[in-house]
Amino acid sequence: MTTQRISIDPITRLEGHGKIDIFLDPQGNVADCFLQIPELRGFERFCLGRPAEDMPNLTSRICGVCPEAHHMASAKALDALFHVDPPPTAKKLREMFYSIFYATDHTTHFYALGGPDFVMGPDAPPEERNILGVIKKVGMEIAGKVLKMRADGHALIKMIGGRAVHPNWALPGGVSRGITEEQRREIEQRGREAVEFAKFSIQLFNQIVLGNKDYVALIVSDGYTHRTYNMGTVDAGNRVNFYDGMIRVTGPDGREHAKYRAREYRDYIAEHVEPWSYLKFPYLKKIGWKGFVDGEDSGLYKATPLSRLNAADGMATPLAQKEYERMYDTLGGKPVNHTLATHWARLVELLYAAERWVELATDPEITGKEYRVLPTQTPDEGVGSVEAPRGTLTHHYWTDERGILTRVNLIVGTTNNYAPINLSIKKAAQHLIRKGVVVTEGLLNRVEMAFRAYDPCFGCATHYLPGRMPLTVFIRSADGQVVESISRDGSQAG
Amino acid sequence: MAAQPTTHPQHGRTRPTRTLVLGLGNPLLGDDSVGLRVIQTLRPRLLAWPGVEVDEECCGGLCLMERMIGFDRALLIDAMVSGAEPGTIQVLAGDAVPTQHSASAHDVNLGMALALGRQAGAALPAAGDIRVVAIEAADCLTFSAECTRDVKASIGRAAETVLTLLSEWR
Repeated sequence: MTTQRISIDPITRLEGHGKIDIFLDPQGNVADCFLQIPELRGFERFCLGRPAEDMPNLTSRICGVCPEAHHMASAKALDALFHVDPPPTAKKLREMFYSIFYATDHTTHFYALGGPDFVMGPDAPPEERNILGVIKKVGMEIAGKVLKMRADGHALIKMIGGRAVHPNWALPGGVSRGITEEQRREIEQRGREAVEFAKFSIQLFNQIVLGNKDYVALIVSDGYTHRTYNMGTVDAGNRVNFYDGMIRVTGPDGREHAKYRAREYRDYIAEHVEPWSYLKFPYLKKIGWKGFVDGEDSGLYKATPLSRLNAADGMATPLAQKEYERMYDTLGGKPVNHTLATHWARLVELLYAAERWVELATDPEITGKEYRVLPTQTPDEGVGSVEAPRGTLTHHYWTDERGILTRVNLIVGTTNNYAPINLSIKKAAQHLIRKGVVVTEGLLNRVEMAFRAYDPCFGCATHYLPGRMPLTVFIRSADGQVVESISRDGSQAG
Repeated sequence: MAAQPTTHPQHGRTRPTRTLVLGLGNPLLGDDSVGLRVIQTLRPRLLAWPGVEVDEECCGGLCLMERMIGFDRALLIDAMVSGAEPGTIQVLAGDAVPTQHSASAHDVNLGMALALGRQAGAALPAAGDIRVVAIEAADCLTFSAECTRDVKASIGRAAETVLTLLSEWR
């Protein structure tokens, strides 16, 4: 068998220097798939010996993708560490800030990353399957709408959080400053515009994706379906909440498996190690690690927009609730286990984030002057969690009595999904790569679509050039020899 | 040394040219921070340059494009991993740089971000008015508040390169 080495063009929308190995069985069918990505090293060591109150600023630098999420999870961990409960105004300000971030973040994913697969179609040439293609197809005005939504979000994040990308605002016991009535009015106004933008985005999804029976068939196809557990944070009424609540896990059949507070996470989550990856694979401790398989007997869980909707009983805002119901009605009821429906769920969350933003901006307490309680107790250990756009984010700190960090543990959003992403890639590949089938760009893209739905980020905040972190897909025979590797443009070499 | 503002042809003769000098990188990620360190060296020397704004960012793609709105020219300083010797300095044309986010997974590359911004009517520097001073890094994957030796040693040279480019633009 001739070993071919094909020049690789990087995947254009995934952070991290990724590599996918697809192993074929002797018949030439897919036996296994592994996604490998590099890990940033030494963060825990970097933190040890520093004052714990530095963490909201330090951890927001881990990753440029969701600094606001780290900032919030870290602040909540500090609340617990210093045994202090922020006043209502502080909690509402934090949640409003976080809703603005969410709306901005989900907008970017839909229009720049995941959306092009659907708007342009999975088989469109890669040079068209991007946000510029979306603009060409949908109309020029969409570019301005997307940029305005982002600009509004960033301006408000800066206004409230002190800095546009890396906020320096949340503190143990609250936040460093509140908002004025004038600022509140501006936040409310932009929030109302965000609601309209979210409605427009859902309408666009309806027209282009749901209006195309081939796309709907793709969403519900077996190759993109996994019956895993689902994780998400819920409020007292079991409705989705990004900032606070109980963590709820439901099974592939929709039944509640667990509901716990963030501080109890180690009773429910364990981490599996594989020799081929630096990253660990979290799984449900009480079910156990059964390998990269789905089903009720496997401890794999997903923590994505779709998982959050699956793990909840509904949305806490009226328009998002209607969309939630419509999504489940359309896709055959709860839970939905189709990975590609994550894009739809993300838009439902976009609408919820915008509505919640307005709700909080019009809350009488939001301009309150009591936005911080000073900690007075001796720090020891604290856990904080939020729903990051890419999954449940947990920060756990231990300190000495002076508040100097002695241990740090983080479970970041995408890590929750690392095992399911591998599962998704494998299943998509099994359906798309079979003996005798030539792997084309469209087919390769469909494998990539399986993990793009997760909006994955592997903690790489690096901004070095050339940021084209290549994703290499190697197809290997059962003995590990490279049979073929694949490029986006299909060019071959060697 | 005070520089006189020039007038950019794209924007007529009524307004002085606005130039952005932007260091990029994560301050906690070893050599990735080199662009920020070059800026910290340069900042006092550029205070007297009218029309020049000096700043630091940890972003790329869409966010970086958005930061350039309203400027006639942009000079970016960033770490690079191309396989050259650590500390090697290269000057690249901005639109040609294949940067992919950096700060965001969840982003597009700079060229596409610029194209998007221009389609949306944003006032962005022309393709020829964006340049990048790239410094070859040895390690951008280990958390550290320090750059590695060769990269650290290149900071002064990179700063001089930036000043030379700015002088050419005047």
